[in-house]
Amino acid sequence: MGLRGYSMPDEIYFLCLLHNVGATSSDRALTLEEISRWTVMELDKVRENLEKLISTEYVQRIFEQGTERFHVTTNGIRKVLSMYS
Amino acid sequence: MKMNVCMLTWEFPPRIVGGIARHCYGLARALARDNHEIHVVTLDFPGAPMFEEIDGAKIHRVKIELGHPNFITWTFIFNHFLEKEVATLCREVEVDIIHIHDWLTASSGIATKNFLKKPLVSTVHSTEVGRVQELRSPDSYLIDGMEWWMTYEAKKIILCSNSMKWEICNHFHLPQDKIAVIPNAVDAHEYDRHVDRETVRKRYSIEPYDKLVLFVGRLVPQKGVEHLIKAIPRIVQQHNEAKFLIAGDGWSRSYLESLAVSTGYRDRIRFLGFISDSERIDLMMSADVLVVPSVYEPFGIVALEGMAAGVPVVASNVGGLSEIVEHDRTGVLVYPENPESIAWGVNRVLSDYGYSQWIIENAKKRIRDVYSWEAVGRKTVKIYEQACKG
Repeated sequence: MGLRGYSMPDEIYFLCLLHNVGATSSDRALTLEEISRWTVMELDKVRENLEKLISTEYVQRIFEQGTERFHVTTNGIRKVLSMYS
Repeated sequence: MKMNVCMLTWEFPPRIVGGIARHCYGLARALARDNHEIHVVTLDFPGAPMFEEIDGAKIHRVKIELGHPNFITWTFIFNHFLEKEVATLCREVEVDIIHIHDWLTASSGIATKNFLKKPLVSTVHSTEVGRVQELRSPDSYLIDGMEWWMTYEAKKIILCSNSMKWEICNHFHLPQDKIAVIPNAVDAHEYDRHVDRETVRKRYSIEPYDKLVLFVGRLVPQKGVEHLIKAIPRIVQQHNEAKFLIAGDGWSRSYLESLAVSTGYRDRIRFLGFISDSERIDLMMSADVLVVPSVYEPFGIVALEGMAAGVPVVASNVGGLSEIVEHDRTGVLVYPENPESIAWGVNRVLSDYGYSQWIIENAKKRIRDVYSWEAVGRKTVKIYEQACKG
């Protein structure tokens, strides 16, 4: 199979959604529930995608007053933008 | 004549996606050095100041306060914020010309043109139909329509190569007298520095006797990296000491990594992800060959950068690359989407040191003579003047 028949991995599509809704810095990081609402995805699926993206350093997890929040990293932003330029 | 220019772009360093950021950076500084007043309005990026001056060019970064999961919707949202920034700017500056780069800033540029009643110049860096090869989705149709709209509304259209000129004229049925071809450029001074090849190579576990084959670019289908990876067994067959570094990121990275495994030479291939400009220059100056295996390439600024860095360039014979690289003189041109041909080109350079040095010298001379930002700046100002007169 060549690249033309290859579709975008789920977590990369999810990364795009996270970028486009504006979660691109720590002050705009979103909670799991907020991401679930924006992306219309079940919490489990959201968590699964986030864990993959954290392991590749495209997403960062932060804790703010005991609440877990997530935002796209600079490398994540570049990854997303590479699709459109 | 001194011009006040408002340039709109969605990418500007450190927000580097592809060639547009480098183009806008080089052009804005060249125009400012030539005493024009340049205001670049662009999107923010983590860590970058909201306003800064770079070599006289004024950079205004805009925070996007709203978002939406759909990319096209998000694009229209950020254009609204760009437009708002331009409106603020225009209270203090009498803008003579609005210059937009690609469809991504088309709607704010066109709105600005109409409320200021000033001419619009559009640079088209690539087209949707070229990037995806065939329009298949509603988003692609809309982007194609936006590209037509930006060329229709513009007084003058700047393209970076003759191949783009034919592509645009045919696809959008544009009159040729509206179009100017101004190639991209490279800042040759950035490469006037000493790089300790051994130290740089050591950082990537490349031994002095290894042959370093380098790719730099986005990991997306149009860049043709899969064909380079498929060429690797043929290259290793002739050059057992060959090692491969793939710098850049993109949505097809995971596919390319699995393809690398299938070659049987995964241990010789390293994916570096995004690298800084300084690291890119170090790597280019330390490599034995730079491969640009693009399937579609309106210009191919990375080939110019390689030529300036003094590394032999092996490039696909497509689009702007065929205009930048003169086969067997300033580089080697190979058939696109053809691993056998890519391997042939790489092996040719790696096998003959005298030949590769000859190519390097010819390429450096070509860069000095033709591809400077000062020349691009002067040509662009002429287009601005024509747009203001007409």
